[in-house]
Amino acid sequence: MIENRPWLRFFSHLILVVGVFLVALPVWVALVGSTQPEGSFNSGSIPMWFGDQGVQNWAHVLFAEAGSTLQIPVWHLLLNSLVMALGITLGKIAISIVSAYAIVFFRFPFRGVIFWIIFITLMLPVEVRIVPTYQVIANLDMLNSYSGLILPLIASATATFLFRQCFMSIPGELVEAARIDGAGPIRFFFDILLPMSRTNIAALFVIMFIYGWNQYLWPLIITTDDTYYTLVMSIKSMLSVPDGDIQWNYVMVTTLLAMLPPVAVVVGMQKLFVKGLVDAEK
Amino acid sequence: MTDLVLENIGKTYPNGYQAIPSIDLSIEEGEFIVLVGPSGCGKSTLLRMVAGLETITQGDLLIKGNRVNDKEPADRDIAMVFQNYALYPHMTVRANMEYGLKNRGVSKQERHNKVMDVAAMLGLDELLERRPGQLSGGQRQRVAMGRAMVRDPKVFLFDEPLSNLDAKLRVQMRVEIRQLQRKLATTTLYVTHDQVEAMTLADRLVVLNKGKAEQIGTPMELYDKPATTFVAEFIGSPSMNLLDGMLTERGIALSDRLALPMAHDYRGAIKWGIRPEHLQQSDAVNGDFSLQVQAVESLGAETLIHGVLEDGAEQPNPIVVRLSGPHLPDIGSRMWLTAPLQHWHLFDAITQQRL
Ligand SMILES: Nc1ncnc2c1ncn2[C@@H]1O[C@H](COP(=O)(O)OP(=O)(O)OP(=O)(O)O)[C@@H](O)[C@H]1O
Ligand SMILES: [Mg+2]
Repeated sequence: MIENRPWLRFFSHLILVVGVFLVALPVWVALVGSTQPEGSFNSGSIPMWFGDQGVQNWAHVLFAEAGSTLQIPVWHLLLNSLVMALGITLGKIAISIVSAYAIVFFRFPFRGVIFWIIFITLMLPVEVRIVPTYQVIANLDMLNSYSGLILPLIASATATFLFRQCFMSIPGELVEAARIDGAGPIRFFFDILLPMSRTNIAALFVIMFIYGWNQYLWPLIITTDDTYYTLVMSIKSMLSVPDGDIQWNYVMVTTLLAMLPPVAVVVGMQKLFVKGLVDAEK
Repeated sequence: MTDLVLENIGKTYPNGYQAIPSIDLSIEEGEFIVLVGPSGCGKSTLLRMVAGLETITQGDLLIKGNRVNDKEPADRDIAMVFQNYALYPHMTVRANMEYGLKNRGVSKQERHNKVMDVAAMLGLDELLERRPGQLSGGQRQRVAMGRAMVRDPKVFLFDEPLSNLDAKLRVQMRVEIRQLQRKLATTTLYVTHDQVEAMTLADRLVVLNKGKAEQIGTPMELYDKPATTFVAEFIGSPSMNLLDGMLTERGIALSDRLALPMAHDYRGAIKWGIRPEHLQQSDAVNGDFSLQVQAVESLGAETLIHGVLEDGAEQPNPIVVRLSGPHLPDIGSRMWLTAPLQHWHLFDAITQQRL
């Protein structure tokens, strides 16, 4: 649709500008706030321009301690979050690609039933099964551990389903050609299937990384030891100060730090991501 | 020595559909066998059973004397070229061709040599580092053949490999496949539904009809002496004219008014056949019968004349005549024809078998 009407142009630009403004304003406030001296938020007004404490604030939060109730530096929280997010992402991809492989390419009894069981778990997100899951993890003695943070979240019906669709679109002739070329199940998986679903893996990686990074409820429930706290859940605890003032400048630094890795992943994998969604070659 | 033997081979699909009741075929070393037949007659099924992609539910398959029914495709020493080429899209041409060798543990140096040899033979040298997505249809076809050739298999299997190419390229590739096969002298089983391809490529043809081999023989045998009406109509283009008739002591009665004199021991209902190219134009005195012209197709070098036999029957009998050179009879006009006796084909009307 190519139209050239001045007011239409103006109108569409207006909408875009308003949209950008709405999205960017909170980020701007956080960025500015992270450079303010302690207590500048408590005067009742929100500062809109940079203060002079930027370097000190960032250094303090990153390497000394996050402030308020948290006595550990934020780099440690960052690391925890990263371990959890990557663990969940890689785990999800590994498990779902293997189960999709089994469901699409192997004939075994109750194949259809198993697929539907996996599919039905879509209706059971973490929040719904949180009590029994907690029970299991507690019995396995995995509270306050990386495995406890990661394992309950790595089963993914969505990813299994996506890989299944992707595999089913691979022409049968190709599978047969590989059989004639002497590729057994393992070789076929690594030499043909994995490279061919490269873009799908990338797209899932982005989606799942953000999902893992933003986990809030589960880490909150199973971690009581702050060496296993994740960044996203800690922000909340930085806001719940028993008495005294909230250190907004430190909170803002932490918030910005929590936003960076997902942004980095999206920007870094943008091309593959889009390709994976529209699925070019095959 | 016989290379490939099919003994009483049959296929019943798991859903109970019997695609192939029983086929016997033994193929000599280096022979080029073409399987032809209409769509759904079981050509691909048969080929895929030889390849090992489909289980054999009856009979034995022998390659070089070894029974291979239960062997994996990779262990049968065959190579297959697919209709849609089935190249690995993420691999270069070189990697595509090497893959089978690599899985067999062939050394890198040897793989390189083999790929270079085959690439030179097929004119693929320039394309080795490209991906299938960067090739034209004809080039992909070549790569698919190259992939089969590097393996140096005992048997080549082709499933309609040319059907995705345009007409001109198809002719060119057809000639090339024939030359390569002669040069390599590898036993070949080739599936097509194009009877020109079948006639030009085959040492021997197998005409399949509903999973049964109607006739097996050289292209000329099938053309000159079709064993059944099915083969008679399938081989040759335009297909043979087949008319219902009765064999009596007077000859062949095609209708109450029209009879062709002939001495034959058989008595009863028959089908009388003659190919369009064997009918000759003549005049009212010498003509065997006449035709009412209904349509004329001028192809330059030859002319196809479609008409109905003027034999007084209520049921009009359509006839096609193929004359060389240009002819322009008026639509609706009468044309006299002779049908030389040596080109007649007689079939039993009930069993459809050649008499
Ligand atoms: N997996 C299957 N299960 C049941 N019936 C099948 C199966 N595959 C093929 N058939 C049937 O077997 C018959 C032969 O199929 P086949 O693919 O061999 O035909 P074809 O001669 O190769 O035809 P075409 O020229 O269209 O490729 C067909 O009637 C088909 O419907
Ligand atoms: Mg077929």
